[in-house]
Amino acid sequence: MSALVRMRLAGFLRGGRILAPAIAVLIVLGVIYGGGASPAAVAYGYSAAALFPVLAWQSKLLLDTEPDGQRRLARVAVGGRREALAGVSAATLLALLVCALAMVAPWLFRGIETDKAVVSGVLLGLLAHVLAVPPAVALGALASRAITRGVRNGIAVLVTAVILVVVLGLQGSFAPWLVPPVMATARALNDATPPPAATLAVLIGWAVLWAVVAFGTYARLRRLRT
Amino acid sequence: MVRFDGVWFRYGRRTDWTLREVEASVEPGDTVVVLGRNGAGKSTLLQLAAGVLRPSRGLIKERPPVVGWVPERFPADQPFTAGDYLHRMAALRGVKAGDWIERLLLTEHTGTRLSDLSKGTAQKVGLAQALIARPGLLILDEPWEGLDSVARTLIPEIVAEVTASGGMVLVSDHRGEIDNLPKAIHWQVSDALVARAPAAPPTGEVIIEVKVRRAEAPQAVARLKAEGHQILDVRDVAAPQPHQASSGPGLTITPGASSGREGGAGS
Repeated sequence: MSALVRMRLAGFLRGGRILAPAIAVLIVLGVIYGGGASPAAVAYGYSAAALFPVLAWQSKLLLDTEPDGQRRLARVAVGGRREALAGVSAATLLALLVCALAMVAPWLFRGIETDKAVVSGVLLGLLAHVLAVPPAVALGALASRAITRGVRNGIAVLVTAVILVVVLGLQGSFAPWLVPPVMATARALNDATPPPAATLAVLIGWAVLWAVVAFGTYARLRRLRT
Repeated sequence: MVRFDGVWFRYGRRTDWTLREVEASVEPGDTVVVLGRNGAGKSTLLQLAAGVLRPSRGLIKERPPVVGWVPERFPADQPFTAGDYLHRMAALRGVKAGDWIERLLLTEHTGTRLSDLSKGTAQKVGLAQALIARPGLLILDEPWEGLDSVARTLIPEIVAEVTASGGMVLVSDHRGEIDNLPKAIHWQVSDALVARAPAAPPTGEVIIEVKVRRAEAPQAVARLKAEGHQILDVRDVAAPQPHQASSGPGLTITPGASSGREGGAGS
C-alpha cells in the first residue's frame, strides 16, 4: 500500500496541483501572523481553524488528481479497501506536513509571544492542528470525484460542508455536534487560561467520533460507487 | 475458476439493467472471447470479472488473487513517464517490471511521458501493467485497439502463455480478431443477457487452397478478386506435397497457415 501512497503523492506533486493549496496555506499563515505576536495557544487555535478548509480542499485535490481509469487499475492491483485507504493515507500525510509548516511558520515571523505559557501553548496548538486533520481529510474524501462523480457536485459538497463547520460551530449553535469541533477548539484555546483536561477530552472524543463516522461513510460509499 | 453466480448489474437505481441474471464460469486454462455490439455490456461484464465494478445483485466467486486488467482506454493523463509508471505499478504488486517492457517493444518509450505516447504505445503500457504480476485472470478489453501489426501478433502469444500456466483469459472483441484465438470459448452479450455462442462466428465462408501454374498466377489472382473472393496468401511451392494431386511446381493460393484450414472460415 505504501507504493500506492507514494505514487499518489508523486502524481500530486509532479502534476503541479499542489501549487494552489500551497499558496492558500501561505496566504492563511501570512494573514494570521502578519499583524504581530499572539500567545501560542491563541495563535495556533486560529491557525488550525483557518487551515481546516484548505486541508479539506487539498485532500479533495489530491484524491482527484488520478484519472478514474487509473484509480480502477489501482483497485485491481491492490484491492478496493487498500486502494481507498492509500488515498486517505496520502491525503493525511500531506495534511500533517502542512500542519508541521503551520507550527513552525510563526517562529520565523515572530508571531508567538515568548514571555508566557509557551510550552503548553505549543502543545495545545499541536493538538488543535492534529484534531483538524482527520475531519478535514474525511471531508475532502467525501467531496472527491470517486464519491460525488463530478466537479460541480464535489465543489458543492466541499463549500457547503465548510460553511456548515463555521456556522454550526459558532457559539450558541443549535447543533454544534453535527460538525467537527474546529471552531470549538479555537474558542477553547482563545481563553487566557488553558482549557481544563475535561474540555480537551471532550474535544478529542468529538473530533475522533466525527472522523470515524465520516470515514465510515466514505468507506461505505466507495464500496457502493465503484 | 471464476464463477458469475446470478449476477445482475446496473449503473444507477433508476437506470435499466446492463446485465441480467448472468450465470457463467471460466475454468483454469480457458480463453473466453466476449462478443457483442457496441454498448451491449461487454466492458461491464469484463469490469465485473476484474472486480472494478461490484454486482448490483449476485456474486462473483473464486476470482484468483492476481488479476490483470487492460481497460479499453488507457488512462494516459498522468504525470509519469512510461518507465516510471510501469515500475510504480509493479511496486504496487510487490514485483519488478521484468521483461515486459522489452517484449512489448516499450524500451525506447520508457522516458516518454504517458500523455505524449501514441494511442497504440499507451495501449501497450496498459498491457504491460496487467502482465507484470503473472495474472491468474487476465482481462483484455478490446486489446487490439490502436496496436501495430507486430504488437497485435503478441496478443495471442500472451493469451497462450497465461492459459498454459493455468490462468484464465477474458477478452472482448468487436473487430473479428478472434480468429487469432482459435481455441477460445465465445460468450455473446445481447439484450443484457450473456449466452454461450457457437465456437466460430457464422461467417458463411470457407478457405480453399488452389494450386496454379506459376505463369498463370497473376491472372488467377486477378480473376478470383474480380469475382469477389479474397486472396489471403500466395506462396511458392517448390515441390509437390505427398497428399496432393500434383500437376507440377506452381503457386498455391492459400491462407498460408494450417490454423486457417482448421478454422474453416475466412473474412
